[in-house]
Amino acid sequence: MRIQLDRPRCEGHGLCEEAAPRLMHLDDDGELVIDVPDAEGADLDAAKAAVRVCPVAALRLAAA
Amino acid sequence: MTAPTESGIDIWADDVLVDPYPTYASLREQAAVVHLPKNELYVLTRYDVIRDALGDPETFSSTSIGFNPMVNEALQGTSLASDPPIHTQLRATLSQNLTPRALRGLKVVIDEKADQLVAELAASGSFEAIDSLARAFPIEIVADLIGFSGHVKDNMLRWGQAAMQVIGPLNQRTQESFPIAGELYGWCSSVTADDLTPGSIGRGIFDAETRGDIPQGSAGHIIHQYLGAGVDTTIASIGNIIALFGHHPGQFGLVRENPELVPAAFAEVLRYWAPVHIWGRRATRDVEIDGATIPAGAQVGILFGAGNRDPRHYENPDTFDVMRNPVDHLSFGYGPHGCAGQGLAKLEAHAIIEALARRVKTLTISDEVREPSNITRSLELLQVTKVVAA
Repeated sequence: MRIQLDRPRCEGHGLCEEAAPRLMHLDDDGELVIDVPDAEGADLDAAKAAVRVCPVAALRLAAA
Repeated sequence: MTAPTESGIDIWADDVLVDPYPTYASLREQAAVVHLPKNELYVLTRYDVIRDALGDPETFSSTSIGFNPMVNEALQGTSLASDPPIHTQLRATLSQNLTPRALRGLKVVIDEKADQLVAELAASGSFEAIDSLARAFPIEIVADLIGFSGHVKDNMLRWGQAAMQVIGPLNQRTQESFPIAGELYGWCSSVTADDLTPGSIGRGIFDAETRGDIPQGSAGHIIHQYLGAGVDTTIASIGNIIALFGHHPGQFGLVRENPELVPAAFAEVLRYWAPVHIWGRRATRDVEIDGATIPAGAQVGILFGAGNRDPRHYENPDTFDVMRNPVDHLSFGYGPHGCAGQGLAKLEAHAIIEALARRVKTLTISDEVREPSNITRSLELLQVTKVVAA
């Protein structure tokens, strides 16, 4: 599955980074960087958790 | 079409507002959506249904976030009461000074102020927690942030309380609060950059308006929302922190021993006692939920606290457990209208909890006093009868 970010909606709350530190991080400016856009296997669970905790619904998963 | 099941309760009755959780439990067990004819309202009661509604602004419009037509009229043109696509631009303007990245520089100051205040209170032996901490701290922080001083700062508490109260139905509380909310509205319509402290975020918002980065006339709206939304709710949360640690000394002990639990403890405080009781939406079409239909055009009420205690989502939901870390609680809302100030709320609350964990060994509280309030559920009085400094 591919992690999709709605960038204008992202406000940098950073909960996704805590849920999926291997897949994404906030850079020094607080902008979210998706490091691993295609999440499979164990990563997929982390990606789902990241999507789930985003407080503004800026992340979603779509078929790769 | 099957009509939703009905309940005869009045969701704004004094006893329900003071202690809503038994009512929430019975409504939630009745159905995910319950029609309250007394309030001309359909309430959402279960976690999944609430979260889905908050994430679906096309079906659940924010044009009716308040429960009387006057307040919805007054809120027109704010991000709070708009739907996408207009909402998207208004929200960006509102939130650009409130995002965690924008607030990062404030953390040191907020932590220092919290530590100093809590250290003084801890050394005093006993104190009244609402005026001296729950109100004093956010008022100080928000006043500094926006650049208020003088009579405006003195009015922040009553303006902030009234701004929330008038979101309720046209009951006595709303009617008594409209003139006070009107003072805030009037001040925000006439405020200029010169009224705000140089270097403050409030001043920066006017600078952005002058530069044309945000629409003409929107600076006053934004200041209004910061004040209306950012004061009463944070006061409620901080009062709830003290009360819940007082009621659950073992849980406070866990946080003292493990300061890394601070964010989880705040999330649990918000889940356990939602600062906002109810928030409105309007159904834009017939919406079927669990086989029952909310008719198009109906006023919907979202019961955050009911969803936060839904056993379908949280195990032992009526237990206050700082180890739970319920990061997906509903108290900040969710989705495009999710609380724009949650980064600031967390900075403030985490600073207070960290300071308590560092400065306080034990605290003993006496029974807290709550006054019924239409929207915010907060404490009016909370005596800390004995505090032992760490």
